[in-house]
Amino acid sequence: MTASTTGAVQTRKRRRRTNARQNLIGWLFVGPFGIVFLALLVLPICYALYLSLYQKTLMAGTTFAGFDNYLKAFDDPSFLKGVWFVIRFSLVLIPIQMIISLAIALILDEVTSRFARFSRLMIFLPYAIPTVIGALMWGFLYSRNFGPIADVFGAFGAAGPDLLSTNMIFYGLLNVVTWQWAGYYMIILYAALQGIDPTLYEAARIDGASRWQIIFRIKIRLLTPALVLILVFALIGTLQFFNEPKIIQQLAAGAIPDDFTPNMYAYQQAFTLANSNYSSTISFALGAVVFICVYVFMLATRKRGNFMS
Amino acid sequence: MTATNIERGRARRKPRHIPLHLVLAALVIYFLIPFWWVIVNSSKDSAALFGGTSALWFAPDINYVENFKQLFTYNGGLYARWLANSALYAFAGGIGATVLSVLAGYGFAKYSFVGRRAGFSILLGAVMVPATALVIPTFILFSRAGLTDTVWSVILPTLLNPFGVFLVNLYARDSVPDELLDAARVDGAGEFRTFVKVALPLLRPVIVTVLLLSVVQSWNNYFLPLAMLVDNRLFPVTVGIGLWQSTASTYGAAGTNLWSIIILGSLVSIIPLIIAFLSLQRYWRGGLTVGSLK
Amino acid sequence: MKTKQVLAASLALLLTGAIAACSGDDSGGGGGQDKPTNCTNTIPKPDAPVVTLWAWYPNTQLVVDNFNKAHDDVQVCWTNAGAGGDEYDKFQTAITAGKGAPDVVMLEADRIATFQIQKALVDLTDKGYQDVKANFSEGAWKDLSVGSGVYGAPIDGGPMGMIYRKDVFDKYKITPPTTWAEYETAAQKVKDAGGPLFGDFPANQPAYVTALLYQNGAQPFTYDPANKGEISIKLNDDASKKVLDYWAGLVKKGLVGKQDQFTPEYIAGVIGGKYGTYLSAAWAPGYLQGAGVGKGADAKVWATAPLPQWDPANPVSVNWGGSAFSVTSQAKDPALAAKVAFGVYADDASLKDGWENQIIFPLNLKVLKDPAFIDAKVGFFDGQQANKEVYVPAANAYKGMTYTPIGQYFYTAFTKQIAAINDGSKTGSEAADALQEDVVKYATEQGLTVK
Repeated sequence: MTASTTGAVQTRKRRRRTNARQNLIGWLFVGPFGIVFLALLVLPICYALYLSLYQKTLMAGTTFAGFDNYLKAFDDPSFLKGVWFVIRFSLVLIPIQMIISLAIALILDEVTSRFARFSRLMIFLPYAIPTVIGALMWGFLYSRNFGPIADVFGAFGAAGPDLLSTNMIFYGLLNVVTWQWAGYYMIILYAALQGIDPTLYEAARIDGASRWQIIFRIKIRLLTPALVLILVFALIGTLQFFNEPKIIQQLAAGAIPDDFTPNMYAYQQAFTLANSNYSSTISFALGAVVFICVYVFMLATRKRGNFMS
Repeated sequence: MTATNIERGRARRKPRHIPLHLVLAALVIYFLIPFWWVIVNSSKDSAALFGGTSALWFAPDINYVENFKQLFTYNGGLYARWLANSALYAFAGGIGATVLSVLAGYGFAKYSFVGRRAGFSILLGAVMVPATALVIPTFILFSRAGLTDTVWSVILPTLLNPFGVFLVNLYARDSVPDELLDAARVDGAGEFRTFVKVALPLLRPVIVTVLLLSVVQSWNNYFLPLAMLVDNRLFPVTVGIGLWQSTASTYGAAGTNLWSIIILGSLVSIIPLIIAFLSLQRYWRGGLTVGSLK
Repeated sequence: MKTKQVLAASLALLLTGAIAACSGDDSGGGGGQDKPTNCTNTIPKPDAPVVTLWAWYPNTQLVVDNFNKAHDDVQVCWTNAGAGGDEYDKFQTAITAGKGAPDVVMLEADRIATFQIQKALVDLTDKGYQDVKANFSEGAWKDLSVGSGVYGAPIDGGPMGMIYRKDVFDKYKITPPTTWAEYETAAQKVKDAGGPLFGDFPANQPAYVTALLYQNGAQPFTYDPANKGEISIKLNDDASKKVLDYWAGLVKKGLVGKQDQFTPEYIAGVIGGKYGTYLSAAWAPGYLQGAGVGKGADAKVWATAPLPQWDPANPVSVNWGGSAFSVTSQAKDPALAAKVAFGVYADDASLKDGWENQIIFPLNLKVLKDPAFIDAKVGFFDGQQANKEVYVPAANAYKGMTYTPIGQYFYTAFTKQIAAINDGSKTGSEAADALQEDVVKYATEQGLTVK
């Protein structure tokens, strides 16, 4: 916070002197990215918006439709169910993920053995695995005929849950995503914890604070910006859920229909049903939903000092 | 930066924490089980894979050599090509994205130019645009431009990394003092020279982090190449394995034991990134603190 | 120290790239569209005109080589663009983009109408169809026809039968059921004795369930492009409801499984003796063996019998799967492409390789009448003369089906309804009604007139 404000003050001072030069050089630095940004973000978004205003059918071809596609999308059970699913999934997933990664980060901050360092790396490792492959591995592990989960339950004489069935797929996916990302979030939190000045703990201890008080009053409080950051990442990631269900669909087509998540639905519309107009509508509507969700969240947490201040 | 302080603080207490270690051990087992599974099962032929041998232990005959041979010869050695493609996309996309991010992040942090504020706000918004929601519009756009089914269709979209710009900007604001830059300018260095000689070395941790994150992102990318590519000789390994998986799930694939090579292929494809992560850990750990500590 | 680590990591990544680059030859990506450079096969006669082909059967390499060796005036450049759904998605994309499709594409018979309605396929009636018409049965041609046009050259078919486990049947003292009523009785008997599931009702195989509907005389779709945009959809008639209610009943009573097929889970169940029967087509043994079935403890337990019937007095043969080569409307030289479509996989050597390795069940009458094929003792079935006893009669009795021009959507919708039956949220009849409503709605949206 302080560093950046002094920076800004300094730049303001210099501005008067070398305005034109600053302009030119600043744009030279930002320009290349700006071009990519325009070409690969702004342009596709505008194009999607344009496409979403047209309608394409087998018999009639392409016709102008105005906002009909949007009216259709927000009345389309496939799209709405998909949106509802990803929202529900986020609401369950994100707290679980955050609690797990926070707990691990706190443990690792506490324990400094060689084994702890080893664990830190191992827990992080799934992040390096392509989601496609993570989903594939778990798909196998869920097998009731030859997977280890079935063995564990079998040892107690119980039938294991079928995590690929319609009723359980929610939990099956929950586990895959948690496995993949908890380590990454843990590392962010851990790094933040390591950055906290240890004299704070000493001072608190002298004041008679218990270990739990230190954890809650100091550590977690100071972690708030990092937690907000994670939350935003997780929210963006989950709302656009695609890779994991798309891969696991090959093992559980009954439980994961083509309109399972909004992104899968958009994919189906674009590639299977050749309806790029409606697909754009869904992409655009999804983008809007994500943007609004995140923006509302950012506003709500603004006072707490979030990472974009 | 404060690592030594922490170590000193810790050294004084040195508790054993046995229950915490047990928790950690359980966690490590959970996180490693899929890896163990893939190592064990890539040694099996299909009969052993599905024929009731334990999923977490080796079958009596170890088939690594046979499976390796099959992996690298099936479909005329296509798998090796996929690995090469993945490497190409990851490096070209990752390096490109990093260069752009560093330039722009530094520009936003250190120069006040017309449109800087507006530009930065737009950038913040862009961080929130779901990348996959962009894939289909980009695909449609590219297909009109005749760019689909080329290496460019995969590399170009990965160049866009607003979060990278954001990270670099944040880091540069904090870690590259204006005084240092001014000093260099006073010594007569040009802006670009100042950037290369003064700022870049200071930005090293964040550069490695952004590079690593973007390389991982492109290496692991699935949706984008899946949408863009038709020719399977251009596939990255993720899409290729997905292709095999769906082939194995279609009746027309008679006569080939695809599942074994799918599993071995998965194992081989994750090794490079694991090595990269393990050997570069001190960099990315430093870089990841950016943004979380404000 | 730090530099060393960076070096190590970069080396590891580069090395994989280098190793990979060595083993694959580089024909570069993208670039020139005119001359196909990305063939999986090597073209022996590079001066001849080239026809591009998408196909996914495992012996395609051999089949294409056979063709190229035998022809001087045309050469085939083959790519595997994915199996089934993946390939259709790619083809669909190419149709939308107006470019990128191959000259000849392998399609399952049930998808032809879907692409025909988008004008993506070329009518072959005047492009060599007459010359080979006599080589295939009427049913085979009907499957590839839309209205009066013929849009594919037959490769293989999937006459259906009932694969079963002799060990299970012996243990529970049952004989192969010949009617669906007997099938249920036998299933109940096995269950009561504590035996395995008798069969399976997979949500991910709507084409298979559609075949079961046909078997009871359902006629889900009638479509002829001659009647501009008119289609009749009858997915909830009594015949369909009866079949779906029957299966919903079996699922509810726990007599059959509800596992997706062609998945590792299903294969493991088949190997492990979890299912007494596998209702499938003639290509199934090849698929199962590739997946490792019949190689371990379950060797020599497999046998096959005709598919159970609704009315044994009027048996109906049905078909599941089977493919054709279609010429796409993006073909540069449709006549030449048609020559390839009819010529590839039509020579004796290729056909023999196909059926001997059980990759395909050929439809070419030359083979279907060949005693070597008819009398062949199939190893997977422990020497049973499966073709003679089950599949050839089924293929000969097959009359062909009319497929829907909105196949992609229909199958997605059907998968959802089968899943609903399986999780108990709908009865068979309810699922049929919901399916009818869903598909009619889509057809109407697409501008078709639903009668």
